[in-house]
Amino acid sequence: MSFSVLVCDDSNMARKQVLRSLPEQLSVNAQLATNGQEAVDLLRSQKFDILFLDLTMPVLDGLGVLQTLKDENITPAIFVISADIQPEMQTKVIELGAKAFLRKPVQLDVLNQNLKSHGFI
Amino acid sequence: MSELNLNEDQQDCLQEIINVAMGQASDQLARYLDTFVYLKVPSIEQVSTLSLIETINKNEKSVAVVSQGFFGYEGIRGEALLMYQPKDSDRLADLLGYEPDELSVEEQIIDLSSILTTTFLNVFAKQIDNQMSYSAPRLLAGSQTAISDHLAQQSFNWDLALKVKITYQVTDYSFNCDMVLLIPESAINNIKAVIDRILEEF
Amino acid sequence: MSLDEICSDIANKLNTGILIIDNEYKIVLWNRYLEIHANKNIDNVKGKNIFEVFPELPEKWFKRKVESVFQLNAQSFCSWEQRHHLFELQHTRPITTNSHFMAQNCTFLPLEAKNNSQHVCILIEDVTDVCHYQTMLNKTLEDLAQANRIDGLTQVFNRKHWEECLEKEFSRARRYQHGLALIMFDLDHFKLLNDTYGHLGGDKVLIETAKVISSLLRLGDLFGRYGGEEFAIILPNTDKMGAIDVAERIRVAISENVIKFQESQIKVTASVGVAIINENDLRYEDLIANADLALYDAKASGRNLVCFAKEVAEDYNI
Repeated sequence: MSFSVLVCDDSNMARKQVLRSLPEQLSVNAQLATNGQEAVDLLRSQKFDILFLDLTMPVLDGLGVLQTLKDENITPAIFVISADIQPEMQTKVIELGAKAFLRKPVQLDVLNQNLKSHGFI
Repeated sequence: MSELNLNEDQQDCLQEIINVAMGQASDQLARYLDTFVYLKVPSIEQVSTLSLIETINKNEKSVAVVSQGFFGYEGIRGEALLMYQPKDSDRLADLLGYEPDELSVEEQIIDLSSILTTTFLNVFAKQIDNQMSYSAPRLLAGSQTAISDHLAQQSFNWDLALKVKITYQVTDYSFNCDMVLLIPESAINNIKAVIDRILEEF
Repeated sequence: MSLDEICSDIANKLNTGILIIDNEYKIVLWNRYLEIHANKNIDNVKGKNIFEVFPELPEKWFKRKVESVFQLNAQSFCSWEQRHHLFELQHTRPITTNSHFMAQNCTFLPLEAKNNSQHVCILIEDVTDVCHYQTMLNKTLEDLAQANRIDGLTQVFNRKHWEECLEKEFSRARRYQHGLALIMFDLDHFKLLNDTYGHLGGDKVLIETAKVISSLLRLGDLFGRYGGEEFAIILPNTDKMGAIDVAERIRVAISENVIKFQESQIKVTASVGVAIINENDLRYEDLIANADLALYDAKASGRNLVCFAKEVAEDYNI
């Protein structure tokens, strides 16, 4: 089974890091967004199973995306991957509907574990 | 003056390393200050000695500058300058957990700057498989001319200035500061080499 | 020798103090440098609380500093410029300084012991020389700056600095609605005096006059040399009556003062203009203009006079 995945981050390197950390056995169809607005536009027009979301982005930031998706009832499985690791931030993203918070730089095994516990592997 | 001629990928990589360093440093700072820190994306730009001096002289109020040397392996070293307008200085002591008259304004600024510099650079270093040592932080003499003179003198030692604009907002108290990393030419090449090594992994 | 032995040897020969404490502030180790300089009659400090051994340490400040090292796992510093010293250690410098104790730069380093317990290593560096020379340099720079503010001949403020003072006082008076008065006086027939007694005579008159007037002024008054033979005084928080009173005393003091020069006894008088700040004055230059006009009036009306600025057109003379 193939999952449609959206990776949203303003850093090219960060996006690559996520893709590269995805487990090999997972079959994915990946798309990329460079800021929150792009991501929201894509999410409105297509269905995605998984969203990997950065927090600090221009135009529309991570929290903005989460709020929009919540308001519009768009529900991919959201994994926030961010450099801003303060506990308050972590709590906030979960409240806004994210499944998990992962710190940057993203680790292979951590990502694996999270995907597993949310039923993707 | 040399230029850190980075292509788009290298620039992107450096920005990401700095973002992560900033994120972790802010978290450490926040927990130390027992508060929440609003983090904005740090902007990075290369600046020349001249523009740096101009920035300082442009400010009407005198700017406080704390300088601290850092050195790591593989020739990665430089001087970190933290520049900011000291406002609400009596609140700084409170923020750092001291009684207001327990330490002087100078000491407060120096302490805070040292925390910002060392936590940021420690995390930065870890990401590039390096480790930093530091010299004691110094508050540069308050006047504009003294600071410009210091920079002009230092320009013999460094060729590149990377200005990382940090904006910290700590709940109801906000302060801005610019962190400028002054790096000599030899270190520039080393940093490029490290960035390329990281990019190769992709 | 094993590496451990070598390191231990170096640690004890180093010209820097090494002090290691655990997270309960008990001393784990100190090196020979500290043993010698601490001058404490203690055989063994190991296991003792650091504040017992060094009661001079500011405990609260120190604990906060050490906590930051543990918590952030980052170095921290304390330089002599912030606190002259933390530990009372005798210095052995050949130069005499103000303090018995050495000026110190201290570095606080986080250490990780094998069983994961945390320690902090404090490095203590003697920077007495640096402190001494830096302090002397600062004093010299301060003297130099002072010299730049002072008129060489009369030792009162030079015009540039005096005007800067006026600018500040003017703003302050405006902001806090305080009074501010300005007295400007000019020595009468000074050119004639110079021609009669020569420039040296003229200079002596200026010097002596400045001395006499200085002694009449209060601590907050700002006395400057405005021109060749023209002087000006800023009187903060002073009203019209107060200013005129001072101006009159100045006029009298100058007219009664006899200046001995070579074989002669020189007498001189001054014309004095007085102005106080009012709502129409937009900048400090307006105040100067008013005082200047009053001074001109005094000259025109016969000299050796005090005139007040035209607002309230009253002249006082004897």
